[in-house]
Amino acid sequence: MKLPALALFERALRLETRSAVICWARIGLLAIILITLLPIQTLARSGWYGAPGLRFLQELVWVNLVFITLAGLSYFASAITEEKEEMTLGLLRMTNLNPVAILLGKSTSRLIGAILLLLVQVPFVLLAVTLGGVGLHQVAAAYVTLLAYLFLLCNLALLFSVVFRNTATATAIALFVLFLFFFGPYWAAGIERSLATYYHVDLHHSIWPVVTKTIEIWRRTTPSERLDAIFQTGFAEPVISFQVMSDLLLGVLFFLLAWLLFDPCTREEKDAAPARRWFWRRTSRPSRIPQRLIGIGAISWKDFTFISGGRIGLLLKFTIVGLLIALCNYVAYENDSKITLEFEGGTLIWISLITTAVWLALEASRVFKDEVRWKTLSSLMTLPFSVTHLAYRKVIGVLMGTLPLLAFFIVGVVLVPNDVGDFLANVFSHPQTFGMMLVAFFQYILFLHLTAYLSLVLKRGALPIAVAIQYLGGSFFLGFMSVFFFAIGNRTAEVIPFFIILICIFLTGMLHRAIGVRLVRAAAEE
Amino acid sequence: MSESNQPIIEIRDLSHTYKRHQALQGVSFSVGSGSIHGFVGPNGAGKTTTLKILATLLKPQRGSVRVFGLDIVNDYKNVRRKIGFMPDHFSLYRQMTVQEYLDFFAAAYGMDMGERNRVVGDVLALTDMAARRSDLIKGLSRGMQQRISLARVLVHDPTLLLLDEPASGLDPRARIELMEIIQELRRMGKTIFISSHILSELALLCDSVTILDRGSVRYSGSMAGLSHSTGETVDYLLSLVAEHPDTEGALRKVDGVVAVTKAAKAPQYRVSFQRKQTDPNTLLRATLDSGAQILGFQEIVRQLNQAFMDLTEPGVPPVIQITDQEQPPLVVPPGEPS
Repeated sequence: MKLPALALFERALRLETRSAVICWARIGLLAIILITLLPIQTLARSGWYGAPGLRFLQELVWVNLVFITLAGLSYFASAITEEKEEMTLGLLRMTNLNPVAILLGKSTSRLIGAILLLLVQVPFVLLAVTLGGVGLHQVAAAYVTLLAYLFLLCNLALLFSVVFRNTATATAIALFVLFLFFFGPYWAAGIERSLATYYHVDLHHSIWPVVTKTIEIWRRTTPSERLDAIFQTGFAEPVISFQVMSDLLLGVLFFLLAWLLFDPCTREEKDAAPARRWFWRRTSRPSRIPQRLIGIGAISWKDFTFISGGRIGLLLKFTIVGLLIALCNYVAYENDSKITLEFEGGTLIWISLITTAVWLALEASRVFKDEVRWKTLSSLMTLPFSVTHLAYRKVIGVLMGTLPLLAFFIVGVVLVPNDVGDFLANVFSHPQTFGMMLVAFFQYILFLHLTAYLSLVLKRGALPIAVAIQYLGGSFFLGFMSVFFFAIGNRTAEVIPFFIILICIFLTGMLHRAIGVRLVRAAAEE
Repeated sequence: MSESNQPIIEIRDLSHTYKRHQALQGVSFSVGSGSIHGFVGPNGAGKTTTLKILATLLKPQRGSVRVFGLDIVNDYKNVRRKIGFMPDHFSLYRQMTVQEYLDFFAAAYGMDMGERNRVVGDVLALTDMAARRSDLIKGLSRGMQQRISLARVLVHDPTLLLLDEPASGLDPRARIELMEIIQELRRMGKTIFISSHILSELALLCDSVTILDRGSVRYSGSMAGLSHSTGETVDYLLSLVAEHPDTEGALRKVDGVVAVTKAAKAPQYRVSFQRKQTDPNTLLRATLDSGAQILGFQEIVRQLNQAFMDLTEPGVPPVIQITDQEQPPLVVPPGEPS
């Protein structure tokens, strides 16, 4: 007998079972796992490192953890918001389906799909035991840890999907909460230590023992902590750990909360179209396009203002980078490190590079996607410009909103010119170091193209999937090339970076063209 | 053909296929300058595909499409400067205000700030949206968003407007207001190519029409031509002063008469006859000879919706197609290619 509450759930599972794309994704994943084995096994045999099985397992499990976190977030967070965005949730509510049925159908079916994606790896991952250096017990414990974390993540994202109006907000908030979940215990412990050291707080009295215990429990609920323990030699703890139980319990709690909040949060159907950011003036004097930006330059103005956030968005980014630099100084101060000019210069250089790279990646996932998603590409494409010009102008718009962050980089270079000079001299005198820097640069350019392209072909999750593809593809390729050059002789290994650069340029060119083709097609499909 | 008589839109043997679905098959028609041309057809007939090709969003796979005599593939930038395309969905940046949105498109078309101010003011006045210029587009009603879409199409003062279902989803007042704006645009000298399912409004608005079904043109010509012809037969309504027993028999004997149908409660006959074989005067003479007195005699003209139903019925081949909007319809015998 069919339960009405499971009707949507059953339908979602049927669709997923029949989906050729999902089937191919599983096959692709397995192929990558098998291919990853090759360089690990070869390098282990050559004595580069021992315990190849452990290394293989570690690599796969950490990739899974990062992939689950990044791709899973937008996948699960869109469960209810996608219905809100398409204004179809009201229709679902009008049927006989109750909130539990909708939550199960929209979210739990996705969870089952993701669990299957993990479980399908297990028979192949067992090869790690054959490779040596890891036991069956460790493999089982690692995958149970991942499954419990997946359950927690799914229900956490579901909760935000119920509460918030669109996927972007739900994903961003869920990401922030996960960030706190993973790093919070370490920060809390650091603050507690500081209080004891500098303010002479007695951690053995008052509420402090409870606080210490809470932080300890919090730390033990994180999968990263648990996986670190699993990968230790001689691991003999039970497979079902405190982390597994607590993650499952938290998952159930989040599901119940989502159920409880479903009705009040979805009763009123609201337009999920992109909103004006809260820090923008609402309707007063409209912003004017500068004279120098008329013609195709107006496209850059639009994307600078509405994708990058405009001048106020830029100010906000400067503030965030400034706060991060201040945080680095605080941490250094806490650890009794000496705050020198060299330290400040280095901090400015690295923080500005990392934040610019992250922001550009985020904007690469939005710059074309937003036009397709809100069906505005057709009006843009009837302007008297070629698709190439339009695309470049859009890119210039988002660069205008991000590249000024490199001002921190310039300040850093000015603070420590000698260090930068030494670094550059070192790079140019070692071809391999120079090659690796070029590899990193071209890989990043390839990554931005991949993200932009995936945002045009995938409904969601372009950025995390690009991260996963880049990571897996990069590691496999690097491994494969290493094995190849190792086999033909060590001396030729110096050319590896240049081979990789050539391949990156080739792939970037392909994606570059594919983005243009896809944009034309997307405009015609609106 | 002189330049002034040159059609604004000229489509010849246009075909387009999506994977295995043939969306357009040998479509040919033209649209004259300064007219409102209706483009109708059932869902999936190929209207939107044709419009997207005209708007340079899709490349034609076969055939030629010229707008203002320009090839839409090779000269697409010049074509885009002369056309305004309003798609069948709201293509709006809803986080912008009305002013910002129009200002953005005006700037993209290369206007300086002074010109933009004037143009944006003009199009807002024309679409009666001047009072809402500072409002976020997101907060506007559907009818207002439709007007903003139309205002956007007008900012660069295009000569040809391509409107895909502009009245879809609007309430009656908004629809009437939109139709008034379209008439005003025609008075301003624009050529308007409009696709719509609201046939009653198109019938009032359009000078000419193209009916498309399953990727083929069923009719293309003037509205008058569509109303007065069904192909090879023509229908007349004959009203008598009083019933007469010999009249029906006399009418049936006239050469070329296909059918005579008597009205149930009035002395009226619907007479269908071959256009080529019969002169309406022969019918009048036969009626008078039978001894009946004639009260009225008129051709039964079809409304657009009736013509649409007749021409898009499954299994009916294309029967009429004319290329010159000013000429009477060209009659093509059934079974022969149009």
